[in-house]
Amino acid sequence: MMWQRRDQVLSSALAVSATGLVKRFGDRRVVDGVSIAVPKGMIYGVLGPNGAGKTTTLRMLLGIIEPDEGQRMLLGRERPREASDLVGYLPEERGLYPSMKCREAIAFMGALRGLPWTVGRKRALDLLEGAGLGHAADEKIRKLSKGMAQLVQLLGSVVHEPELLVLDEPFSGLDPVNQERLESLIQAQRDRGATILFSTHVMAHAERLCDRLSIIAGGKVKFEGTVDDALGVLPHQAHYTPHHNADGLEALLPADAERENGSWRFAVPNEGIEALLVKLIDAGHGISGLSIERPKLHDVFVRIVGRQALEGAEA
Amino acid sequence: MSNFARGTRQALTIARRDFVATVFAPTFLLFLLTPVFMIGLGIAGGYSAASVSSGGAEKAVIVAIAPADRAAPLIAVDTQMRLLFPPHGENARPALRIEVPERDMAAQARSLFARGDMDVQAVLYGPLEHPQILRGALASGEATYLAQLAEQTLRAEKAGGTTQLSDAEITVFARDQTSSGGRRQVAYFASLGLFLMTLMLSGQAVGAMAEERSNKVIEVLAAAVPLESVFFGKLLGAFGSAVLFIGFWGALLLNLPRLMPPDATSRFAEFGAAVGPVFPLLFVAYFTMAYMLLSAVFLGIGALASTQREIQLLSFPITILQFAVFGFATFGAARPDSWIATATQIFPLSSPIAMAARAAYSPELWPHALALGWQALWVAITVTIAARMFRRGVLKSGSPRRRAKKTASA
Repeated sequence: MMWQRRDQVLSSALAVSATGLVKRFGDRRVVDGVSIAVPKGMIYGVLGPNGAGKTTTLRMLLGIIEPDEGQRMLLGRERPREASDLVGYLPEERGLYPSMKCREAIAFMGALRGLPWTVGRKRALDLLEGAGLGHAADEKIRKLSKGMAQLVQLLGSVVHEPELLVLDEPFSGLDPVNQERLESLIQAQRDRGATILFSTHVMAHAERLCDRLSIIAGGKVKFEGTVDDALGVLPHQAHYTPHHNADGLEALLPADAERENGSWRFAVPNEGIEALLVKLIDAGHGISGLSIERPKLHDVFVRIVGRQALEGAEA
Repeated sequence: MSNFARGTRQALTIARRDFVATVFAPTFLLFLLTPVFMIGLGIAGGYSAASVSSGGAEKAVIVAIAPADRAAPLIAVDTQMRLLFPPHGENARPALRIEVPERDMAAQARSLFARGDMDVQAVLYGPLEHPQILRGALASGEATYLAQLAEQTLRAEKAGGTTQLSDAEITVFARDQTSSGGRRQVAYFASLGLFLMTLMLSGQAVGAMAEERSNKVIEVLAAAVPLESVFFGKLLGAFGSAVLFIGFWGALLLNLPRLMPPDATSRFAEFGAAVGPVFPLLFVAYFTMAYMLLSAVFLGIGALASTQREIQLLSFPITILQFAVFGFATFGAARPDSWIATATQIFPLSSPIAMAARAAYSPELWPHALALGWQALWVAITVTIAARMFRRGVLKSGSPRRRAKKTASA
């Protein structure tokens, strides 16, 4: 009983929680014991290469498909359907009725989540104008470009002001201008108090937006934490350019040093870089250039999921 | 908000979208006017068939080979006997032609069948006391007529002539209640009406999920709404446009008597249902159930089809299924007190048609309340099964709880 109460207290601080989610398609375990905890009010990223199980995980969390094993809670409800009016969702495969007008399409998506049509239509107009699409309010969806239709669908997923917004690969198919618009929209939703859970395999967006993230590969969670935690997985990188690339230089550098034209790149040693620099100067190699770089999420991702998986993702 | 209330609201949202999308599409006008084309084709086809048939009928004759002194009584008796048969149509008798006998009457009779200027059905020759009748393979009625013509002519001659002896006065009597024949007619037309309306309208449900699947909207709907509500919503939306269709044509048909001559409407006085004025309401209720049940089956089957080609291929077996259901229901309706009638009233797909027929010939109302509840239950069961099949087949989602229980118990 006490444990149950503690779970309830914990779950009340979480918008989404799941433990040990498993989904099999035939003999294949597409999702293999995924656990996830998304605190309320955060932007949470689910990162992973294509085929990692991100979409299946999100679909299970939303109750579109049922997990074969594991439990999940969505906004404090064990049955995700009971929270459906409080959730907004942009699926990976975008879908709108081509014969509907933009304004109606947004109001319709709101109505599915319990928003009255009249309110939905009014909000739709405001949202479209806010997104710079006011001129297209009465245009039919079939007349819009793919990017515009995608934005309309995104507006449809927020028109009822959901507590939780789930976005599956929201940036795919958008040009840089619309990607920036989308980032602003996501941040605006967070500022409104909503929790945002989104999946992506583009690290730059995750690094800019996420408060916390999970990295999934092969259906398993490989990492869970803040962006800083993720970046801490790898040491800082030194980029050193000597005056003279004379013999014996490589022997002085750390074992992981890699030559890039006339420069060298290596991880900053745990004890610091000062002692190494003294040795290099004493040996007469000198310092023509030196920079210390914080690792990027991309590098962390490559390290965690493996270069091969990433190449598959970026293909 | 309870799950039921939420599900109903979501189903109505989907129904509203589907109804508007259907009714405000230009193709709906074409759909609404389909009966005009059907009636037009029917009239054209009927007129052609009637022309061909009447052309043949005009040339058909029956022949009596008789001496000149027998011609007049034969024609007089034929005129009286002809009153027993309708002047036109399937049961009318061909015109009588008198031929003067030749030496070999049997050969003369046979040769008449070879004449190109008339279509001889049957020929009578020889003495009237023992006439010989030669007939075509399909003219047994005409042969019997000629035999009776000989008999009645002889009787008239023995009675002293063919003059009509009695003068009957005929009065039309208006019954206080419908006749059993009228009730049977209503039962038949109610069954036929339900069948035709569901045949025409419910088949559309086969492709109802195709739009959602091709546009990928199904993912948005499935995330927001239980699939059962999606399916119910689609059924209600399609039903709405069907009701609009029926309302339009129903209003026209209801006003049809105003265009008919006054005595024409009196012909319908004997038509009526045993349940009385409630019948139209029951008919509407059974149409609703028939439509929902068949549409739910078709919607479920069609939702599993992944291409338009598969949907088109499904149309034929679906039409056959509808004909089979109609045949089963009318077979039972023709035997009201048999176990087959009960079976057709219980079997969910035939139940609405069979019960509509029952309303025509049986006055009890409680079986209808029971039947409507039973049919509504089957609509719910069908939609639930269809949604479950769609979830498993298309969304690739199983049922975890059952599997978990099995594991636990193992």
